[in-house]
Amino acid sequence: MASMGNMDTTSSRSSKDPSKLSFQSTKTRRLILTAYWGVILLAIPLWWRTTSIERQTLPTARVNAQQGKELTFPIHVHLDVSDDLSGRGGALYEEVQRSIELHPDLRDTAGLRIRVSSKEKLPGAYRVVVKGGSESPIVDGRRLIYGVHPESHTLSMELADALATLLSPYSTLRSSQAERVAKYAPRYRLAFTLLNEDAASGTAALSWDVHASLSSHIAPTLERLSVLHNFTVESQVQFYAPLAFEPRSVGDGSSHGLTQEDLTVFINSAEWTLSSSVSNDPVLHFVLFIPSSSHSPLCILDSNGTPTSSTAFILPQWGGIVIYNPPTANITLQLTSDALSPVFTTFQQQLIALLGVPALPAHIHTQHKTASDATFTDWQLDALIRRRAVENTMGAQDTLQSIVRLVTQIENMPVKRDVKNDVQEALMELEEAYAATSFSSALALQHASEALTLASRAFFNPGMLALLYFPAEHNYAVYAPLFASISAPLVAALIREIVAWKRARKAKQEDTAVKLKDE
Amino acid sequence: MRLLGRIGALLLLSLLCEAEQFAEDLTLRPLRDGKLAASFSFTTLLENATPRHPGSLEYDDDSQHYALFPLALGQVLREFAVTELHLTLNAGKWDYDRWGYPDEPGVGTGAELWAWMGDSAFISVDQRWKGLRNALAGLFCASLGSLDEQRTTSPILSFQPEGSLPNWTTPHQLRHATLPSEHVCTENLTPFLKLLPCKSRSGIATLLNPHKLFDADWHGMGVHVRYRQDIGVEVRLAFQAVIDPVRYSPERRREVSQILTCIYPDWSFLSIFDRVIERACPVADTSIIRVKLPTEASYAMTPTPTSIDADLATFLVDDAMKPLDIVMKWPGESAFSYPPRSMTRPLTHLSVRRALHGSNQYSAQLFISVKNNSPVQVRTGYLETMPWLLQFYLHTMHAHIDGVPRDDLVTLLSYTAPVPHARPTLLQAVLTLPPESTLQLTLDVSKPFLRYTEHPPDAQRGWDLPPAIFVPFSFENISQEDWDPRNTAWTLLERPTRIYTPVLLVDPATPDFSMPYNVIILSCTLIALIFGSVFNYLTRTFVVVHVGEDSH
Repeated sequence: MASMGNMDTTSSRSSKDPSKLSFQSTKTRRLILTAYWGVILLAIPLWWRTTSIERQTLPTARVNAQQGKELTFPIHVHLDVSDDLSGRGGALYEEVQRSIELHPDLRDTAGLRIRVSSKEKLPGAYRVVVKGGSESPIVDGRRLIYGVHPESHTLSMELADALATLLSPYSTLRSSQAERVAKYAPRYRLAFTLLNEDAASGTAALSWDVHASLSSHIAPTLERLSVLHNFTVESQVQFYAPLAFEPRSVGDGSSHGLTQEDLTVFINSAEWTLSSSVSNDPVLHFVLFIPSSSHSPLCILDSNGTPTSSTAFILPQWGGIVIYNPPTANITLQLTSDALSPVFTTFQQQLIALLGVPALPAHIHTQHKTASDATFTDWQLDALIRRRAVENTMGAQDTLQSIVRLVTQIENMPVKRDVKNDVQEALMELEEAYAATSFSSALALQHASEALTLASRAFFNPGMLALLYFPAEHNYAVYAPLFASISAPLVAALIREIVAWKRARKAKQEDTAVKLKDE
Repeated sequence: MRLLGRIGALLLLSLLCEAEQFAEDLTLRPLRDGKLAASFSFTTLLENATPRHPGSLEYDDDSQHYALFPLALGQVLREFAVTELHLTLNAGKWDYDRWGYPDEPGVGTGAELWAWMGDSAFISVDQRWKGLRNALAGLFCASLGSLDEQRTTSPILSFQPEGSLPNWTTPHQLRHATLPSEHVCTENLTPFLKLLPCKSRSGIATLLNPHKLFDADWHGMGVHVRYRQDIGVEVRLAFQAVIDPVRYSPERRREVSQILTCIYPDWSFLSIFDRVIERACPVADTSIIRVKLPTEASYAMTPTPTSIDADLATFLVDDAMKPLDIVMKWPGESAFSYPPRSMTRPLTHLSVRRALHGSNQYSAQLFISVKNNSPVQVRTGYLETMPWLLQFYLHTMHAHIDGVPRDDLVTLLSYTAPVPHARPTLLQAVLTLPPESTLQLTLDVSKPFLRYTEHPPDAQRGWDLPPAIFVPFSFENISQEDWDPRNTAWTLLERPTRIYTPVLLVDPATPDFSMPYNVIILSCTLIALIFGSVFNYLTRTFVVVHVGEDSH
């Protein structure tokens, strides 16, 4: 029987020596072994290619370079000094400029580069008219009319202060006000709902003139904000919208009140059909709530439990609610646009608060010309646009950073072509946003929001989850029975062959050495 | 600019001022076998409205302002520019022979969705169909998302629009899909109730008590949207149930009574719905309860109906005294006797049976028996929308009457072959049924092999196959004397009504689901074994070993 023989060089004197057979020659055996290993080595690139995850290289350096970059808006303020102050003339410009540069709010909030000049007719420039008198400052369009005592020495400081509150109103904003602002979206759905707590109880409004109220109160605001957002407006009436809790009865029990805690759980989302199912646009809800006759009148209590005159409240980032107590109980109403006027005025204020339009400082007033102008001034709108542009830029930067970090962290995560394209385009939009600041903040906002959309799309790309749940261990476990049992004889044969070859060479060397010695 | 346009549209809308009307009604119909068919219908009409033109999908839609019309549904309809929509979710088998034609024709088991949509160059009908079924799945908490391309057909003959189609330049297209394995439950009823203006808190909708409704022998809900020319867009939310008052009767009295004399058990709102109408829905324009009166027995009904017209008692909920609880009693009778099935004649023109014969997992025979109950010749449409799980051999289709081949009775055959893993079969034909005869249709089918991942959870149970649909549409002239006077239910149908067969269960070959791992392990072992031996023989060194003294 044949057995595994070692490389015995001392051949037997047998008539048939197996090592003399052609297929038993060392050369053939080595060729066979080389062929096997050759196939395996040639197959490795193919195997690598077919099993590897597509990972496009992301522009990591460019993304990291974005960090800390901020939008800087050049702002031109045209100072118009009226005749009675002209004595102070040219010095005033420099004085105001210096005060602005030293002003804490304007200095800390980088992103505004304010130039005060006497040049007129710059597009998008603000105009500050300084004139004698003691009336309070008036804002009108992009103009600020500032009455000042002619002898005032703090004029430049006052002006810088006023400009700071108008141009950068968010730096002084309280955090509760900042938190209620809805997250930026290119399109919002505005859902107006007339909610009757219980229409059959007697007190109810079965219809409302929503068309007229919307066009007179909400439409002008939406038109002003059309630079920032698109809006879809819809309305519905609900006749049964029970509260999830029992309002506390106040005083002699004739009226009911909502405590501050009640307000946070006021929305009964299980019973009120308010949600929208067809689009992913964020919804801002505006609810006119009519309490049932058993809960009427319903008022809001302050923290001490005493009723307040307020009937409206904002739920941060969700919407606004107005409680409407009918003048007499047990009455079925058809709400006319006149009756709805105060309600929709409140809705309008809630809307601009939710969308982040800054309030004017208390001491500055607007000049009401027509009703549609009454919404808010260009100062406020510009400040909002700048703020949204900065927000979106930062959001896009953060998202891009997160993508890069995530991809580096998870090595199994595939990165397809579309993710890479989105990231590149987002970076491009960001660059354009930076470039656009010098001539149009609205354009900068547009690019910034586009960058944010692209970055979010890349981040939430479903293709990035594809192979996350097939770890390599899984594959090894399944194929180990094949790979292990095949590689064992291959490796063993290779080692054996190498050992044999080394021994043969050594023997040969010794042989020649002996021969040499013999000679 | 776009906003200005929208404001303009808003103003225009306010001028047009779409009025809305809401009507609710409930029809209670005693059935021959002692059961009670309750049919709720809630109709909201948006006057002067038109469905969205699919060409306008490119642009922003007009604002939607509704008072009674359900906004959640309106959004879906406008988003996908649906002209007509029918969604039904049913549980149980409608027994046509004993219960007659249902008030709402869509009684196929499981979910059925069909919609007519205008064609558009911007977004194709199929894309919108996909969006529509996903939106409805979300709205009604049903797995309508699985009504995919593998189940979608366009059987135009059997599903003609119930309303009118607007006269647009682009043609309308039908999409239809059924999911027989869908189970209707409370989670579907809750969103359904939320679409009603009065929810289930006042008016007739108070009676929609899930505990009782889902205990009924048969129950189903439907959403029907149609466009009525010059009138408006109408949404009808319907709920049908077949309730067994005998089961709820506290006495459970039963006695043998005279054959064919139908005596109905006592019932009241409280016993069948466990609720009464406490107050009327304040926004309902009409709110009517109709009770079909039995013809034979002496009965007592409280309260007194508002009006009685022939065999129909009508109650106006607004005028009736609250709480309203309609009570029907048969004081003279002590028990209800079930009429023996053999002695009663079916209440519909056709009685259909469908079965799948054969015991192996590779092939089977589809067997359909259609009985014409009427004394005249009836022509009926026959529709199968079969998933590719069952593949027809059309050349084996044969018709027999009493064992005599009558292939000539199957005419106007149209057939769309299935595409495995992609498209279902669509088989439409017209069957001519001679008077009082039974047509037997046989068709060989094969069951394909499914891919490993295509098997559903609980694969051993098999697949539910959608019901076949028969639409009797043509009757020979009937002379009055031919008509059996006892079968008053056999009035001629105003319009063709669909008859659904029960669903079938097919059992395709199912693998052992742990198989892939076994196969991998086994084949790896085998390959390693063969490889090892071959490799060894190729690279092994043979030496001669001399044993014993001879070697030296």
